[in-house]
This record gives sequence, C-alpha cells and structure tokens, in this order.
Amino acid sequence: MTVNGRPVSIEVEPDEFLADVLRDRLGLIGTKIGCREGECGACTVLVDGDAILSCIYPALKAEGRSIVTIEGLTREGELDVVQQAFVDAAAAQCGYCTPGFVMVVRALLDRNPHPTEAEIEEALAGNLCRCTGYYQIKEAVQLAVERLGAGGGAP
Amino acid sequence: MTAGAVGESVRRVDIEAKVQGRRRYPQDFSLPGMLHAVVVWAGYPHARIRRIDPSEALAVPGVLAVLTHEDVPVNEYGINIYDQPVLASDKVRWLGDRVAVVVAETLRAAERARDLVRVDYEELPIVDDPLEAMRPEATLVHEDRRSNLLKHIYVRRGNVEEGFAAADVIVEGTYHTPFVEHAYLQPEAGLAYIDDEGRVTVICAAQWPHDDLRQIAHALALPLEQVREVVPAVGGAFGGREDISVQILVALAAWRLRRPVKMVWSREESIRGHGKRHPFHMRHRWGATKEGRLTAVEIEAVLDAGAYASTSVPVLENAVSFLAGPYAVPHARIDGYAVYTNNAVTMAMRGFGATQPPVGYELQMDRLAEALGMDPVEIRMRNLLEPGSIAVTGNRMPAVTSARETLRAAALAAGWREEPQGWRRPGASILRASHLRRGIGVACAYKNVGYSFGFDDRSTAIVELALASDGSIQSALVRCAAVEVGQGVTTVLAQLAAQTLGLEVSRVRVALTDTAATPSAGSSSASRHVFMSGNAVVKACRQALEKRDAALREESGATRIVAEATFRGHDVRRTTAYDIVDGHCEPHISYSFGTQIAIVEVDIETGAVQVDRLIAATNAGTPVNPRLCLGQVAGGVHMGVGYALMEEFIQQKGQVRTARLSEYHIPTVADMPRELESIFTEVPDPDGPYGATGLGETPTLPTAPAILNAIHDATGAWITELPATPERVWRALRGVPAQPAAPARRPCP
Repeated sequence: MTVNGRPVSIEVEPDEFLADVLRDRLGLIGTKIGCREGECGACTVLVDGDAILSCIYPALKAEGRSIVTIEGLTREGELDVVQQAFVDAAAAQCGYCTPGFVMVVRALLDRNPHPTEAEIEEALAGNLCRCTGYYQIKEAVQLAVERLGAGGGAP
Repeated sequence: MTAGAVGESVRRVDIEAKVQGRRRYPQDFSLPGMLHAVVVWAGYPHARIRRIDPSEALAVPGVLAVLTHEDVPVNEYGINIYDQPVLASDKVRWLGDRVAVVVAETLRAAERARDLVRVDYEELPIVDDPLEAMRPEATLVHEDRRSNLLKHIYVRRGNVEEGFAAADVIVEGTYHTPFVEHAYLQPEAGLAYIDDEGRVTVICAAQWPHDDLRQIAHALALPLEQVREVVPAVGGAFGGREDISVQILVALAAWRLRRPVKMVWSREESIRGHGKRHPFHMRHRWGATKEGRLTAVEIEAVLDAGAYASTSVPVLENAVSFLAGPYAVPHARIDGYAVYTNNAVTMAMRGFGATQPPVGYELQMDRLAEALGMDPVEIRMRNLLEPGSIAVTGNRMPAVTSARETLRAAALAAGWREEPQGWRRPGASILRASHLRRGIGVACAYKNVGYSFGFDDRSTAIVELALASDGSIQSALVRCAAVEVGQGVTTVLAQLAAQTLGLEVSRVRVALTDTAATPSAGSSSASRHVFMSGNAVVKACRQALEKRDAALREESGATRIVAEATFRGHDVRRTTAYDIVDGHCEPHISYSFGTQIAIVEVDIETGAVQVDRLIAATNAGTPVNPRLCLGQVAGGVHMGVGYALMEEFIQQKGQVRTARLSEYHIPTVADMPRELESIFTEVPDPDGPYGATGLGETPTLPTAPAILNAIHDATGAWITELPATPERVWRALRGVPAQPAAPARRPCP
C-alpha cells in the first residue's frame, strides 16, 4: 500500500485493523480511536479517496491501496484548505474528533466541491463531536467550499 | 493597542496542531520497554470476593504480573473521602470496581491473561433504586455504615404553611432525570514511568492534576514529591475526569515493576469505569399569588450517589441551593438526599448539581404561568433574583447579577414584546404539515462560578518575563496548571496576560501542565478558570510589572523577572457551609446566568421532536474571546439537547445496557437545533478579570427545560421524565403509561 504517497510494505495479522497499523506500526498517531465500532468517526482516513473508518477496516484489505491520513494533508508545512478553514472557524475544541472530521470533509469536497447544506450535514452526520455542537464545524466546511470555489488551495 | 487582548477572537493557541493531528493525547505516548496493563473488572454489581487466583493468567507467556489489592500499599482513594478501593479486596459494589491489573509485555498477552484471572464471587443482593435504598431494611452498599443515606441537606426559610396559605394557586409536579454519560471522545488512557529524578510520573488526562497527585501518593504511600503528573492534550472532560481513572493503576504497576506501563481503556471500559451525572427524583410544590409572585416552595430531591461517594456531597450541596431556581421566594422547605446504591458512581458533569434542578423549577414556573393565565416571560420577570435579593439560603445576592438581562435579551430575540401590561409572547407561526405541532418554551437558569460552601478555592500562577536590555518585555511565560480540556483556557489566560502586560498575545506562552513545574490552579470545573486562574494570572502579571519597574529604577540590568501570585475566592466572597439548623449560608463565590428559548416541532404521529431554533442568552461578563465563548455555548447546547431528547445511561439490575456509543446516543449534527442564536449580555462581573467570568456550564442548564416547555406549548403534554424520547412523547400524547418492564417512578419519600 501507499501511505501519504509513500510506499509501505509490512506484514499484518488477519485480525489487525488499519487504525492500529497506522498508529502503532507507522507512528501516525493523528488517526484517533474513539469507539472501535465505527460509530464515532474519529479514525476516518481516505482509502483510494473514500472516507473509511479505519478502526473497523481490516488492515489486510489495504493491500495495494492508497491511504491518506491527517498527516498526509499538510504539504511542506502548508495546511490543506480544509485544515485552514477549521483553524479560521475555530472548529476544534478538545481536538480529538478533529482529524476524523477534516478527513470526512476532504473526501466530501474531493467528490463534490459545491455541496448543499443538506449534503454537508449528511457527510458530517457519521462523526461525533462532544465539544462544539457542530456549528463551527459547519462554518468551517462553508469556508472551505468558498475558498475552493475562489480557486484557492485545491490539492 | 495590544494585539490579541481581551475581547478579541484570537486563534486558539493549540488549533493548528490539532487540525494536523499533531497534538498528542495520553494514548499517543509510548516509551521504550513499555509494558501494557489491562483491568480485570468486577464480575457483578454487588458480590463478596472469596478468592482471586491469578495462576493461570501468570502462566501466559509475556505476563509479568497480576496485581491485586495485596499489592496496593494503601488500598483506598476518592476525591472527597477515601472510600474506593484501588483494587477490590473483600467486596465489589458496582461494575466499575477494579479487581486486578494484568501487566504484560504485549497488549495481546495482557488481554488474553485477563480472561484467565479466576475470581470466586459470592453474589449479594443489589440495591439499584435510591428510594428503595433509603428504607431501613435495605441491603447496605457499605456495611460499615448504618444506612445507605450518604447525606441529607436541607433549607428552611420562613414558614411554608404560611406561604401556601397566602397562595392563590398551588402547582405540584414530580420530575425525573436520568444517569448521563460524559461521552468525551478520548477514552481514558495513561502512561506511567519513573522519571530521571526518581518520581513516579503519570501522563494522563485530568482536570485537577494536583488532586490526582494527592490520591496517587496516598495509595502508593509515597511522599508527594515522589509523584508527578503530566497532562498533555485532553480529549474532553466535562467533569468526568475529575475523579481518578487509570492514574493509580498505571502508577502502581510502574512503581512495582520499575518499567513504563501503559493502559488504554476501550469505549466500553470508559463507559463502565467512570462515573455519571446524578439522576434526580424531584418533587415540587409551589404556591403563588394571582399576581404571579411566589409565596412558598416545598421541594424534595433524591440523588442516586451510586456505589461510592465521589463528589456526591458537594453536588447535593449545590443542588439544594439551586432547586428553587433563580427566584426570590419568602418561604421555602427544601430537602435533598444523596443515597448509595450499586449503580454507577455518580460524579461531576457539566453543571455539578445545577443541571438537574432547572428540569423541575422551570417546568414549575410554566405550570404556574398556565394556572394563572400569565405569560411565561412575565411571570419569571416578577420573581427573578435581583442584585441584593435574598436567596433561599438566606444570603444576599451580589450587587451585580444578570438574570434579568439574559431573560430580556432572549425574549426580545424570540419576538416577545414588552407592553404596558407586561411581556407578551409572539403569535403562532405557520405549520409545515398537519402532523406537526409547533411550540415555544422559555427557561432561565443559574450556576455558581468557583468552589462553594466554605471551600477555600484558590489558583496560583507564575509569570516569567524575558526583558530586553532597555527593560521592555520580549516575551512572557505563564505557568499555571489550569488544564486545557478543550474549553480554550490556555488561549484565554494568554490573552489576559497579554492585556495586563501590554504585550502581543503571540509573545505569551502558557506552559503545559506538569505538576513538577506548574503550581496548582484547582480543577478545570465549576466554570472557574477564567474567574479564578484568570485573576491569578492578572495578579501575577501586575506583580511582575512592579518588579520590572523596580529593577529598572535600580538599574539592576535584570533580564528575567519572575512573579508568583495566588488568587483566593474568599477575597471576593467568603462562602460558608449550610447551617445545621436552617441551612442558611453564603453558598457561592460568584454566579453565571443564562436564559434559553426553544422553538420546537413535535411530530404527533411519531413523538419525534426537532428543535427548530434555539436562542441562548448567556452572561459571561465581558467575553475575553467571543469566538471561544460561542464554542462553549454551542457545546453546552449540544449537551442540553442530548439531555432533553436522547441521552440516558441505562442500567438494569446493575448491568450496563448502554455500553457503547451505538447504544448511548449523543446528538449528531442532524439532531442539533437547525438554528442557534447566541447572545452575550455582557454585564461585566466586577470581581472577574477585566469584567469576565466563567461560562463553561451555564449554557447547558436551560436547554432541556426550554425544550420541555416548548413541547408542552406545542402539544399540551408535560414530559416530566428525561429524555423526551419519541416513545415518551408519543405515550404522553396518548395518555399511555410506560411499559411495565420499565421501573415505576414513585414520588419522593
């Protein structure tokens, strides 16, 4: 598989999940584990461009695929447009759910750069946040959409 | 002009790292040679332990130890009293009791061995209902106590019989609130090791690290200087990290085995292993004149304290002071009881005994308004505590309060009009469909800021200035153990320091909480850090400036100035304990007020409730960082909506029925009010730093009663038991009682 653009070759056990491989073997601790049942979304990463829940995604399935984690969004110290929007909208408090939200929004905007409010809500509805009430996260998404529309920061 | 000073929505100091996944939480730390530890949890909610046999577990390759009560030097801990065993010895009293800790080279080995620790139990009858638990013949949770009653607190003011005799109308109600789970996204985790100075060091999430230290040192029989706690990023707290979770267990294992030991709880362990918000059974009887003025209140509340005391006594103390609401009432009889059961331990959670009372007092207010044909805003306006009013506890309210301002602001935003005859509600709006009913509901609430009832609340800060040769300040370092749990306190303290020092906020750094380097600031709770630690930081900065000026006068050539200051809550208002005769006291240092108005749509076919619009008027004094303040309101409303409509931690016969996030539901983005309008009334707190005060808890309090009052307005049904799930609403609309399987709610004793 490739992880954040780099080829990675490791042996995994059949019962290992992608989140653990990323965190414990590759040191990519930005991917968070909150429930281990695919309920909270904190572990979201991109697999071939799709947002998936890495805490319930068997690591074996990742063979030959392209994985992008939160660490892979920052390029040469420059924040991704979604990350920057989260900063500007103050869309993180404790921050534990934040990487998962950022990845979900990144996947949404890659697929659909002009989402409606309902489409934004639908994309965010699989991720839990206990701090923000989601309003500032929604503002961050709108901000990212505007900036992408203005031609800025598209990867 | 100081960039980033008070009143500016400066960027959080930690946010760039957080959006990149670079901030480390306790589970993100590892050390070479690290061992893994797992808990063997109680097998029953109430049982005697006959024997613990670790032999099979110890035979698993890679297992180094199975620690039991015999390995704990002083086998007790507890935030208020030492009534919890670190590892259970004779008895388990709830499912969250820890019986043993398995330590192994790998997590796999530890988990495998956990299932092989044989514990021989003798099951005991359980007591899972606080009202049953109060009966004299009830099974005792703690056999060394004569009863399960942990504490009874009461207030007697005036003469309630006289008050009721003077009433034109009397309304009664019983209310029940559930156990609530904190559900912070980051489960408990800790890494302990022996540092280079020989201290047992624990990296973990905490709210009051110095108090953890006291409990770790006590259990390990070590001097305080030999333990240390480092708090990295914390993934939410909400009161749930005020009690010890993994701290003593990893410290014990590291101390015994002299190697780093890590423990990470799963979500199920988190939900099982930490306490919950107290359920309240409340019974109210209120009288008022036909002009809508309160004449008397009689209130009883029974709190389920769960298996151990935790902070149940101070939660009860708080609750009793708030049960009559932010209203002036001449005659009051209020009784509160906290009772041990074999249910989950109950503890601090956003509001600390101020969250449950509004579910009673604000429904009582609307019942009175209905009985008198009076507008709900008008009746509240006629009874609110004013500056200098006498509260039920006999104390005089401060010279500045903001209850009226928040009610007024919320009412105006919702379309109320102030007319010569009084406040008048807006007209009905158009319905979207025939099966929907729309309603509007008001609720006021208030909360203490800082620790109450005689506790000597204090926070200490150290400020270090780096000076240029001309004496100008280059940068400042603030050392203060006010834990950043997500609320933004680090940013706010930096702003307060910047304001005081006349420095750009980017030149102020706030040190990470490390008990070895930062003095105690008290807990990240009671909405207190802006007020307490903010005042401490401002005081330390002012002292540092004085020292700098003296150094300049003396031409000492100093390049570094250090000042330490402690702020004491009692310098603002000296609080006192409840009087043993009448319960009169000076309960709180300071107060925060809020009013919310909810506009809901009830689907009368399904019972589903959607909050269409929520107006939240909050007084945070002068908001230091309006954007962060908005985040506190929005997050508070999130918990209030969950409390109102969906959240309930369920135990049956002591067994947890909501052990996962797929079973314990917190609001998703789709469950939130479609529109949130937040208003800050900005009545400055004369005692707060630059007029600011705390607001971490107040925005949670009015949400649920505002929604319940709106449901009543929409449908005529009173929902008196939270949460107002579609089933409960549906049943209430049809007068169908709850299923027989659900335990019947009885009135209070």
